[in-house]
Amino acid sequence: MLAYSRTISVGVQKQGEDRRVVSGILEDELYAMAIELAIHWPTLTIEALQTRMKRFTTARCPLAESVFAQAAGWKLGLDLDGKIKKELGRKGCRHMATLMIECCRNLVRAEFSREFISAREKDQDIDAGAFVDRFYSRYPDLKGYLRLQ
Amino acid sequence: MEELEPGLWQVTTRYDDNLFSAQVMLDVRFPTLDIVRADLTVRRDVLRLAKDSTISAENLIGIRIGPGMTQIVRGIFEGSSGSNRLTDLTLEAMEMLINALTVPELRKAVNAGGVALDREKEDSQISLNDKVIGGDMVELMAQNPRLKDSCAAFSGLLEKASSK
Repeated sequence: MLAYSRTISVGVQKQGEDRRVVSGILEDELYAMAIELAIHWPTLTIEALQTRMKRFTTARCPLAESVFAQAAGWKLGLDLDGKIKKELGRKGCRHMATLMIECCRNLVRAEFSREFISAREKDQDIDAGAFVDRFYSRYPDLKGYLRLQ
Repeated sequence: MEELEPGLWQVTTRYDDNLFSAQVMLDVRFPTLDIVRADLTVRRDVLRLAKDSTISAENLIGIRIGPGMTQIVRGIFEGSSGSNRLTDLTLEAMEMLINALTVPELRKAVNAGGVALDREKEDSQISLNDKVIGGDMVELMAQNPRLKDSCAAFSGLLEKASSK
C-alpha cells in the first residue's frame, strides 16, 4: 500500500524576449501550495513572485507567504538554493522553499532545453558538451547551478 | 513511499523533463532507516551527460537516513564518476522518507489539538483545510527539539517575521 506520495509540477512560459514566468505546485497528503515567479531573463533576476499556501498543518503556516515576498530582486545562480533554504525555508516554510528551488532550477533547464533543441534542429550532430560550454560562457552565473550531469 | 513488508519501506523518486528522465528507488529498513537496496535508472538523457550510476547505487547500501546524509551522498556521487542529477534525486528520496515519518505525528496533533481555521482570514471560497493544529498544540509540539528545528511554525520564527 502506498503510504505517502508527493508531486511537484513546474511549468515555464516565455513572455516576450526578456521575461519568463514559472508556475509550480506541490501536493502531498498534508500540504498543497503554489508559487508563481516572474524572472527577467538576461539578468536572471526575480522580478516578482507570489505564493499561496492552500493546504497546511498549522494556523501559522500562511504567514510564510509574506516571508517569500522578500525574494524579489534575488538572482538565479549557484548561491540561490542555499539562500532560499536559509532565508525563506527556515524562516517561512521549507516545503515552499523546496518548490521554489525546483521552479528556479527548472526554469533554467527549460531555457537551456529550448535553446538546445532549436540548435539541434539546425545541426543533427551537435556536440552537447560544447553546447553546454557555450551556454555557460553566455551565463557564467549558471555554471554549477544547472546540474546537467 | 510504500511499505513492502513490515519493517521494509520502498521510496521512489522520479524526474522527467524533455531532455532527462530518471528514477531512484531505495529500500529502507525501519526503524534503523538504513538503505538495504538501491536502484538508479536513467531512462532518457538526450545530452548523454549523466554518468554511470551503477557504482553509486552499490555504495548507497548501508547508509542511514538521518543527520549527515547529505554530505555522505554527495561524497558518493559527486566524484569523477558521479551524477549530480542522481545526487539530487537520491537526497529527495531520503527527504521524502523523513517527511512521510512526520505525517502520522502531524495527523495525531490535528486530531488531538485541531481547530477550525478562521475562514475570514482566507481569501478563497473553498478551503482545503478542515482543521489545522491550533496555537496551544503548536506550543506543545515546539518543545520537541526535533520538530522545533524542522519547521518555522514550531520555532516561532513565523510569528516573529509577521510581527515585523
